[in-house]
Amino acid sequence: MTFINESDLIERFKKGDPSAFEAILLRHQDRIYNLCRYMLHDPQNAQDAAQDVFLKAYRSLKDFRPDSALYTWLYRIAVNTCLDYMRKLRREAIKREPLTEDVPSDEPFPEQLYESGKITEALQLALQKLPEKLRMAIVLREIEDLSYEEIAEALHASTGTVKSRISRAREQLRHLLRKI
Amino acid sequence: MVSQYMDGELGPDEKKDFDSHIQSCASCREGLEEIRVLHGLFASAERFPAPYGFATRVLANLEEKAGSRLRSLLSIRPLFLRAAQAALALVIMTVGITSGNLLLAERNDLIGQTAVQETFSLDLFQATPPDSIGGIYNTLMRPSHEK
Repeated sequence: MTFINESDLIERFKKGDPSAFEAILLRHQDRIYNLCRYMLHDPQNAQDAAQDVFLKAYRSLKDFRPDSALYTWLYRIAVNTCLDYMRKLRREAIKREPLTEDVPSDEPFPEQLYESGKITEALQLALQKLPEKLRMAIVLREIEDLSYEEIAEALHASTGTVKSRISRAREQLRHLLRKI
Repeated sequence: MVSQYMDGELGPDEKKDFDSHIQSCASCREGLEEIRVLHGLFASAERFPAPYGFATRVLANLEEKAGSRLRSLLSIRPLFLRAAQAALALVIMTVGITSGNLLLAERNDLIGQTAVQETFSLDLFQATPPDSIGGIYNTLMRPSHEK
């Protein structure tokens, strides 16, 4: 199989070749879906959000400037899309159950899941308890393995802000997964 | 600082300073160890690939959206184009009705005389043999000066 350079694919797309977008989609679908899954937790919401990411990318790829890597550009779209989804889900939850704040949840604590060896579930649950901006920063660092500079670009923030968010996210996660 | 050290994001001088600091600071050593464990947990956590058929669904969605955009573009054609289409339809209908009436009038003239004769005749080769009902009818209807 021949490896096609990403900038060639973008050029082909700009010239009207629809198969170029399909190649980009196949190349990046896993990392974008994975990010959405860790951000939104629910598989269906993650799938819907990831789909929205690629629809938005299709519409604006003609304006893409190669001064950043395509994957960081896609991550930026994914970050904004996930934030929109989180706000929407929060509004829907408030509308659906406005009076259930005092009712104890039967949801397990992250450390209980961790003790029973369910590491992925424990981490996902702990991540859901973090503020959105901290969650986004730590997922991009630990799950997607981005550098601080790439995270800053994806989040539209300074590297100083990124350092601070990652450090705070780790502190809170250590507290949530007390047994580690 | 511990977090950045863990991520390899410290500059060479900062890293050197931290390396020497950590030798004498139990709290930082403990913090670093906890972050290492957390990092190990993330490294062993599951990665979720896109579900089967995901790319196909995205492409189908794109095609559907492109189709609906084309349909909406067609539905907003200018007023003069709509008026021209209506006028053309009216002309076609008028021509159709007029030519239909003309053809019908012509046909009525031709069949007027023979229709009755053919109706009462059973002979396929002679329209009205003299001994058929049609023949008798013709004889009765013939003008009197022919008798």
